[in-house]
Amino acid sequence: MKRRTTFTKIFINTAKFGSRLCIFLSCLLFPFAVGAATSHHIHIALSNISEAVSWYEEHLNCEVIAGRTDAVNCDNTEIEFFLGQTVGGSQGTGIDHIAFSIPNLDAKMTELESVGVRGTGVRLLRFEDGSLVRDIPGLFKIAFITDPWGTKIELVQDEDLLGFHHIHLNSTDPTAALDWYSQVLGGEPASLKGMLDGVLFDNIWLLATEYTDGRPGITQGRTIDHIGFEVADLDEAAEQMNRLAVEFRQEPMVPDNARSSAKQAFILGPDGVMIAVVESGWAGIEGEILAAGSTESTELYVVPRTPWGEPDLQGIWTADAAHGIPLQRGIDVAGTNELTPEEAAARRERGTLSSIWGYDREWRDTTLGYVKSAPSTQVAMVIDPPNGQLPETTAEYKAAVANAPPRIPPQRARTPVDLGTYVRCITRGPVGMMMPSIYNNGLQILQSPGNVAIQKEMIHETRIISTEPREGFGEGLKTWLGDSHGRWEGDTLVIEVRNLNGRTSYLGSSEEMKLTQRFTRTGPTTLEYQFTVEDPAVWTEPWTGMFNFIRDDSQYELVEYACHEGNYGMTNTLSAARTIDARQAEAAANEE
Amino acid sequence: MVTQLKPTIILPILVFLTTLAAGNSIIAQEIGNYEPEKTWDGNPDLNGIWQAIGTAHWDLQDHEASAGLPVMGAIGSVPPGQGVVVGGEIPYQEGALRKKQENWTNRLAADPETKCYLPGVPRATYLPHPFQVLQGTDKIMIVYGFAEANRTIHMDKENPEPPPLDTWMGRSHGSWEGNTLVVDAQGFNGEAWFDRAGNFASSALRVTERYTPISPDALLYEATIEDPTVFTRPWQIRMPIYRRLETNARVVEYKCVEFSEEILYGHLMKKEEE
Repeated sequence: MKRRTTFTKIFINTAKFGSRLCIFLSCLLFPFAVGAATSHHIHIALSNISEAVSWYEEHLNCEVIAGRTDAVNCDNTEIEFFLGQTVGGSQGTGIDHIAFSIPNLDAKMTELESVGVRGTGVRLLRFEDGSLVRDIPGLFKIAFITDPWGTKIELVQDEDLLGFHHIHLNSTDPTAALDWYSQVLGGEPASLKGMLDGVLFDNIWLLATEYTDGRPGITQGRTIDHIGFEVADLDEAAEQMNRLAVEFRQEPMVPDNARSSAKQAFILGPDGVMIAVVESGWAGIEGEILAAGSTESTELYVVPRTPWGEPDLQGIWTADAAHGIPLQRGIDVAGTNELTPEEAAARRERGTLSSIWGYDREWRDTTLGYVKSAPSTQVAMVIDPPNGQLPETTAEYKAAVANAPPRIPPQRARTPVDLGTYVRCITRGPVGMMMPSIYNNGLQILQSPGNVAIQKEMIHETRIISTEPREGFGEGLKTWLGDSHGRWEGDTLVIEVRNLNGRTSYLGSSEEMKLTQRFTRTGPTTLEYQFTVEDPAVWTEPWTGMFNFIRDDSQYELVEYACHEGNYGMTNTLSAARTIDARQAEAAANEE
Repeated sequence: MVTQLKPTIILPILVFLTTLAAGNSIIAQEIGNYEPEKTWDGNPDLNGIWQAIGTAHWDLQDHEASAGLPVMGAIGSVPPGQGVVVGGEIPYQEGALRKKQENWTNRLAADPETKCYLPGVPRATYLPHPFQVLQGTDKIMIVYGFAEANRTIHMDKENPEPPPLDTWMGRSHGSWEGNTLVVDAQGFNGEAWFDRAGNFASSALRVTERYTPISPDALLYEATIEDPTVFTRPWQIRMPIYRRLETNARVVEYKCVEFSEEILYGHLMKKEEE
């Protein structure tokens, strides 16, 4: 009755080299899934081996597969990497982590600790008592790390099974989940050291832990995107799966431009686990075909609704991925509409180095979500005018700038006012507050019928926007962030901001500025944000900028950014300025 | 997750309320009678703009009228008021009572409200500013009118999660008990005060709040305050909170930082006359 299924591969989403979401979607439908026969296509030089391949090779003893730049072989388990924007690590999804067995775990952890975050981006997870390694009596020693892209990895010291060791599932019903894998994919129910129930596929264990915090997240779009199994005859396997009422996400087929005539299918396992099933001889798809395939396979995204029927924008979003996109198109990107992922990563690196001074790598990795979100490949924020440049400024504005008094540098600040409203923890202003910041990029949206609350983590500011027509503020009431009038245009939340007090300025904007904002969900994890600035006193025509917020409910929670309460920088800056004053006064007195 | 009030527990709640608060027996009766409007999920609809009326923000306990800064004249004076502490007494431990008295003596300089700091819980509720409740799909947000304070009340967690770090406003988990929104708030940094009289707690504070609609335009607000390092026993405050009925009622953005800068940094500023 049972068929033999070989566990073959894990697909890991390497966010760091992330590319566009559409490519990512097409990857899900036509992954670079390659079966056993991988040796007949060779043409990539070794110098092009990606950082991810190197990392698994260096730290987990996986081997580069000849002719492949996107996969490693870890004791007959293939790990494939593919480009894609992720919305979080593996923890908390149906596939919580993968595990490798190491002969000497203490030595490995010491090695990883000494390499540290700085070198490789590995992160060591500590147990509650602060230790890195825990010895489970009767089982073995265990430890946890995450790779630089957010995949959680367990390291164990199991002398009976070295190398790739197990896949650990999260499940609302572990017994039922393991039964499912055993029935559908033919693994053998077994017990690991008589302590943990699991399913054995050749030498690889599938284990499951009960998930108690609601339901595990779906794997698709997370760093462990899916796992793959190989069967001898996919049609026959599919027939049997159909009898078991398995949910197919893609029926068995030979995709266009497949490298062989073997078929592949996608099925949905328990707890949101995406599973590829491929036939023996499967050799993947020619990579360059993916973009073409995406147009055929792209399904229109339907924006979800709240229970009361409005477009649902709720959740935790971040602008981490947008950090580093310049407002205006630079001359260095003439002729391109999009950076390569490598260029985008390099741009963000340059941007963070210049904007957050000497903060070290570990801090930036953690705070800017380097391990969580791929940098945007967008060339510039300005989308209108279409040349990506801000419109010409007015003659009056140019004259005002020429005659403006020089800015007072921080070391000469007389009062907090000289330091600006951001340093004072008041606000970044109605345009600036939405912009990606150097840290604390969270955006929380919560809706009640007829109202949308938009909360920015940085400084902590919350706007409540009524989406129903209502009486606005009178002429006598103006505020820093103004009076927001909202409405739904189809699936788009449109906000017109009025009654601004004009005490902040974005690139010279005046108190005449009219700001219109548009929020549209363009995918399950993408919130497109457009902002149009009309300020005839400053710019000769309106202009519009755009960037995406990426949803990250699973790993991100807004922290309380008690900015003013902890504004030691203000005290220190002013006291330094007064010290400089005193020294100068002293020097002047000595000269007399 | 949605717990409907079962008939069997109505009686104990009423008994509890009437015994604890003889003075609030009318409120207790109304809880038994009033059936509030419901939202899409069948829970009471608390959406709207609310505000406490009274003098609890000056002093949670009974207090007589007293002088403020002379330069402010009668505007700065403290109006007299009746306390909102059930039983009247705040059960401070000995050392904590001395600290409260020090706070009172130093209140003009030491009160976080003077400095435009986040007000904490429960103080945010009865400051003399409106607050707005938004009931989302699986979370409730409260946006307060002072210091840009806000709270997200997680309604989607089976069990309270340990607060990731101590904060001014703490971490809040909510659930429904019949028509009452019960919020468990903890994870405070111990910096916030309860009122302008210097009543306070430490970072061990845990506040259990109950918001119960008692009419279309009023909620009963009850907060049980526990802090074994400051008080000898848990104690409770109770007050109604009223709906703002103006058709254009709003929680108007009030950024108070700039009004605190002279107090905080005045000694570091360059005075123009020099």
